[in-house]
Amino acid sequence: MSAPGDMLSCGHSLADLSEYLDTGRIGDPGHLADCPECQSGLASLRRLSALGHELLDADTATAGSGSDDWMKTILGNLRLELRPGRIIPLRSDSPEDVLTETEGSISALIRSVADSLPGTAAGKCRLYGDVTRPGAPITVGVDLAVVYGHPLEDRAATLRWKLATALARQTELNITAIDVTITDVLEPRKPEPLNPEPRHPEQPPGPGAPPTPQEEP
Amino acid sequence: MEAEESDRLVTGSPSAPHQLDLVPDALLAGRAADGDTAAFEALARRHGPLMRACARRLTGSLADADDVVQESLMQAWKQLDTLRDGDAVKSWLLRITGSRSIDHLRKRRNHSNLGDLDHRVEAGAGTAHQDHPESAALSGSRMDALKAALAALPEEQRRCWVLKQFNDQSYEEIAQTLNISTASVRGRLARARITLAREMEDWR
Repeated sequence: MSAPGDMLSCGHSLADLSEYLDTGRIGDPGHLADCPECQSGLASLRRLSALGHELLDADTATAGSGSDDWMKTILGNLRLELRPGRIIPLRSDSPEDVLTETEGSISALIRSVADSLPGTAAGKCRLYGDVTRPGAPITVGVDLAVVYGHPLEDRAATLRWKLATALARQTELNITAIDVTITDVLEPRKPEPLNPEPRHPEQPPGPGAPPTPQEEP
Repeated sequence: MEAEESDRLVTGSPSAPHQLDLVPDALLAGRAADGDTAAFEALARRHGPLMRACARRLTGSLADADDVVQESLMQAWKQLDTLRDGDAVKSWLLRITGSRSIDHLRKRRNHSNLGDLDHRVEAGAGTAHQDHPESAALSGSRMDALKAALAALPEEQRRCWVLKQFNDQSYEEIAQTLNISTASVRGRLARARITLAREMEDWR
């Protein structure tokens, strides 16, 4: 496979070293540390790889921000179709009317309730049980992220209560349990640029701080 | 619900345009799989620039790259329920971007000459350095040398190198994307690196 000149005098080829960099696999790993030719070849390939990372960073910076117009155009073109999920029957006064709601609308309701609590955001949510059968016992499972500093158990308890209320008011589901799983504790947001004084002088936002999204309507 | 509207995520800061931009990938992926388009758009904003950069290097065309990003996001939305590990959403998006880019190249091969296209990306990319001529002079010219060496590679080698270096794909994934054997990936990638490394060593 190797062309003349790619073979080192120690018996390894640059192709061997290239694969070693990606997979960590090579016939005789003990040889590498003591072989100046292999070391020099590896150093050269690593310099190339570092330069490749630089090129990717430069290209990504040139590509622009995800908040820019190009992404708005793409997102506008996507027209994401909805995910209705299962069809949930609703009571109707007349037997001629067939009323339903979708599982997707229930998970949207659950997300909106979870997102409305201070310092929390919903993740995935699930309805366990046969939602297509009226009155069937249903368990709700919802993943939750909470911003660091907010009381976890308190938030989970409040969410369970608020969800129970909202689901009882806005659906006909027979909810028997609501399981809240806290999957993430989030870093608090950095001070807004509107406030020039850092709120925590011991931790000013450094150059590595993520840029605040700027998107004026 | 008005009162709840004011209690936005994250320490009651004034309602930011994109409160979901702070939330980790896995959480957003879970929501998006449930049908939350806002969560999916937050993922797209977060990883879109990287997808665009990869697609530009692979297709060599600014316009095609945006088509590729759009198609890739569409595919991602449709296939989100097949994503097992939400934390891996970035590499998953890059894998989709890689195969959509290659598809684009295959389609385009019938229509136009590939030789002209690299200049379009370089013409667009070059403007970024003009704002910082001082700092860009040194690393910029080195970068230009790499771009030139990359553009001079045989097409198949360049694809392997970009899919590895930019899209961060494994040999098996590259083999699947390019429809070649992993042994061919190993060989082409090595060839590409040897050529590029030599060019860059000469340049030093």
